[in-house]
Amino acid sequence: MDSLIRTFSNAQTSRDGYQLAQTLSPDLPQQQLQAIWKSCGHHDAQNVIKRGIQNSTSGFEKLPKDEVQGWSDVYLAYWKAIGELLPALNQAPQSSWTKVYDAWKELLSALYRGYIGQGFEAWSIPCLYVVAKNLRIFALKADEERNNNVAAGDTSGQIFQDDFDPESEQHQKLEDCARQLNRIFTLCLNDRAPLEESRKWGIYYIINLLFKTYFKLSSASLSKNILKTLSAYRGDMPPLSAFPKSQQVTFKYYEGVLCFLEENYFQAEEHLTQAWSLCHKDAMKNKELILTYLVPCHLLTTHTLPSQKLLEPYPRLQKLFLPLSNCIKKGELHAFDLALQQGEDEFVKRRIYLTLERGRDIALRNLLRKVFIAGGFEEPKVEGGPRVRRTRIPVAEFAAAISLGSKQTLETDEIECLMANMIYKDLMKGYIARERGFVVLSKSGAFPGTGV
Amino acid sequence: MQWPSAQPPPPGTQPPAAYPYSAATAFTPVQVRQTFGQPYSAAPPASYPPPPAYGPLPTHPPATQLHTNPAAPLTAASPSTTQEPAKKKIDWPESVRNYVQRSFQTSNLDPSVTRAEMEAKLKETISYANDQGHMYSVNWEKMPLPQEMIKEERARARALQQASNFSALSISPTSSKKRKSTDFSEGAAPPWRNGQNRLEDRITFNADKRPAPVEEAQSKTQSKFQKQLEKRQKRFDGGYKSTYREPTPPPSDGPVVGTCETLEKRYLRLTAPPVPSVVRPERVLRQTLELLKRKWKKEQNYSYICDQFKSMRQDLTVQRIKNEFTVEVYEIHARIALEKGDLGEYNQCQTQLKALYKMGIKGKSIEFKAYRILYFIHTANRTALNDVLADLTAAEKEEEAIKHALDVRSALALGNYHRFFRLYNDTPNMGAYLMDMFVGRERLAALCNICKAYKPDVPLRFVTEELYFESDADAAQFILDYQGQDLLEDRDGTVVFLTGKAKELFEGPRKAAFSRVDIKGQI
Repeated sequence: MDSLIRTFSNAQTSRDGYQLAQTLSPDLPQQQLQAIWKSCGHHDAQNVIKRGIQNSTSGFEKLPKDEVQGWSDVYLAYWKAIGELLPALNQAPQSSWTKVYDAWKELLSALYRGYIGQGFEAWSIPCLYVVAKNLRIFALKADEERNNNVAAGDTSGQIFQDDFDPESEQHQKLEDCARQLNRIFTLCLNDRAPLEESRKWGIYYIINLLFKTYFKLSSASLSKNILKTLSAYRGDMPPLSAFPKSQQVTFKYYEGVLCFLEENYFQAEEHLTQAWSLCHKDAMKNKELILTYLVPCHLLTTHTLPSQKLLEPYPRLQKLFLPLSNCIKKGELHAFDLALQQGEDEFVKRRIYLTLERGRDIALRNLLRKVFIAGGFEEPKVEGGPRVRRTRIPVAEFAAAISLGSKQTLETDEIECLMANMIYKDLMKGYIARERGFVVLSKSGAFPGTGV
Repeated sequence: MQWPSAQPPPPGTQPPAAYPYSAATAFTPVQVRQTFGQPYSAAPPASYPPPPAYGPLPTHPPATQLHTNPAAPLTAASPSTTQEPAKKKIDWPESVRNYVQRSFQTSNLDPSVTRAEMEAKLKETISYANDQGHMYSVNWEKMPLPQEMIKEERARARALQQASNFSALSISPTSSKKRKSTDFSEGAAPPWRNGQNRLEDRITFNADKRPAPVEEAQSKTQSKFQKQLEKRQKRFDGGYKSTYREPTPPPSDGPVVGTCETLEKRYLRLTAPPVPSVVRPERVLRQTLELLKRKWKKEQNYSYICDQFKSMRQDLTVQRIKNEFTVEVYEIHARIALEKGDLGEYNQCQTQLKALYKMGIKGKSIEFKAYRILYFIHTANRTALNDVLADLTAAEKEEEAIKHALDVRSALALGNYHRFFRLYNDTPNMGAYLMDMFVGRERLAALCNICKAYKPDVPLRFVTEELYFESDADAAQFILDYQGQDLLEDRDGTVVFLTGKAKELFEGPRKAAFSRVDIKGQI
């Protein structure tokens, strides 16, 4: 505890938020945690800590009285949380991560009160980062632990509900954590102090934590509320580019994925591209995550596929995308279906299945284009005149091409339906003359963007 | 026997008699008496009839009786009011005076409510507000008139009576709806007051339905109010999920074990921990289910059935019964809701079913997983669809109903309307009820495709067959519904559809149809 308070005092003097935050970290070697826990007892903890804080600063730098009280509360809560954490780490009988979570939540509340009423200054917001980040971790652990013990009987109340609520039973603590984070979000957002000493500088860190939590709770849509609130305040907010790059990348990534999930592929691409270009060149894991969504986006918006070179450093992405993109490139419809089926579990897990499925349109387009090219040219009307492609193509020729891979013959009506789709989506220009049984393609650019 | 349509009463109409915490009211009638006695000197206030029987039941425990309003005041009120009117002079707000005045306006009078009853009711209401110190905060303009409150109470009493006597099915003359006002002033407790569960019912009612929702002396109500505040707050700062869940209530001694033997029960939202005597144990619920199945077959009264099923679900939940019977209840309710197009109820059931199946409880999981897919197609919920796909096992994907639903999904994803309408024609179980909900918008989408792709025209018959209309006439009507009259042409006895001329005609309606997906009840 003494060394903790020494660090506290140093950080206070130098106004170093990150150093201060270190004193609230639970990620310490066990001996160190043990030492902190042992340094005072239940009966004297409050006094020991308060005296320590009081004496830590002196003279000119002396802390105001209520700030002393605030920090004493914070460290007392920290000390208590350590008391729960130690047995949990050692899996002692009476311990539980739920208790750790609750104790840690107290710590966050103590900090919250400090900022609201006891004059904690904005330079110390890294404390919020550390405490909030770990709250989320403890929530996950508590939920996991409880779900493993479900056999012990679910005593989680909710007797006021008409139906039981499976989701919240599973994610009880994480949901609570989301609420706590939301409080912190508001705490940062609503600070009216001048920008240079405003808690607003903490906002993106907290937002990113919130996004992470919401995604985990499979209620990504709630992140939209955050974005809405944020854009309402945009005027008084420092620009995103003024925040640390790591926060920018994470934020842009989530913003992009959110658009992606809403099928806003153009916007998604924009955000993800920004994240991609800001991302540290060695952060391979992050770059891989970004590409996971950026590649399908690109396929839909520009109908282009990732190059070999781009995917080279990412074996997992190669496995994910290469089979599909080969089929698309070659217009192998049936093989595409198989590849999609093959990767279904992985695609679904990453929430890109429904998007990649639409790559079938491009595969089909490429196949039809081949039929068109194979159709050759019309007999030139004048000797040596410009060669014109044959633009009237019997539906049967397309039908043959489509059933080439699967060896299954489709009804003519269904083939026509597929053609109609191509035309409707502007992937193919022309029209179907149903009565005469052929498709009339445009003489200039029957397949826009492909050179024919 | 007809199911009474009585809704739970709006706030403010609760008989104050049911509040166990108006202990301090003993002397306040003094003041009340003054006021509405004075401005209405024409009224005959001199002698008070005995209180109408809205007070406690004869069977009430004495403690309740002591605290209830109308009984206590009368003894103290009569002498002091008439003799010492000036002693406790209170300045009555204008709004209260107006309220009393409004109550006695001839146009507002109701012949079925006697003057005595009205006066008693007014006294209760006003003295209650005074005790709680709400005299100036209550919106007297909005306060229901005493005669309205009384009628509301009667209706509720009838409903309760009918609910508890439902299985008996005998329409006794006393429970008839057409009660005369004379029945009320006899002084004795009216017969419908003797229903078995009166006391409990009234207690569950009163927790949050007060005339004025301001601070309550009772801490329980207080915390309830705070919770609501907090809830509202949460919703505003983008709190977790729109249905914010209240923090876990203090741990109870385990789930309730019901002791109620009555088969039928009206649904009431719980606002306080459930009372065992109004919760039916599984043994009774099984009989209830049989009864409801018979009734549904015979009467097809959805509002009754839905209400009954909701109360069954509530009883199951509070007793934490999760077994095959639970699954059966939810499945049947889900099917009935589907049939009636009640998507909100249906979705609640399917959410529960999903969790119950996941716990390994047997039921018609294939059938309902298929519905779930169709439902999310209807609500265009991509995230949920993705989750459904993630949850299916390889074996399940081969099951007929699920395979059908998955095929529907992929047909739509790829714009293959041809396949979609073939699948529509061949839907297992009750899936067609769900598909009916989005078939219209898919027809529009397909028409847009056809109009852009086919030139110069197609036979109307082609549209009929591709989009699976019952007849050419139906197909034509569909086109006409979207102002497509110029696109139909009779050529030597066959009607052709001039796709080449349609341009963007169906685009607007298509966009509108897809943007306005009814996501009622969606999680």
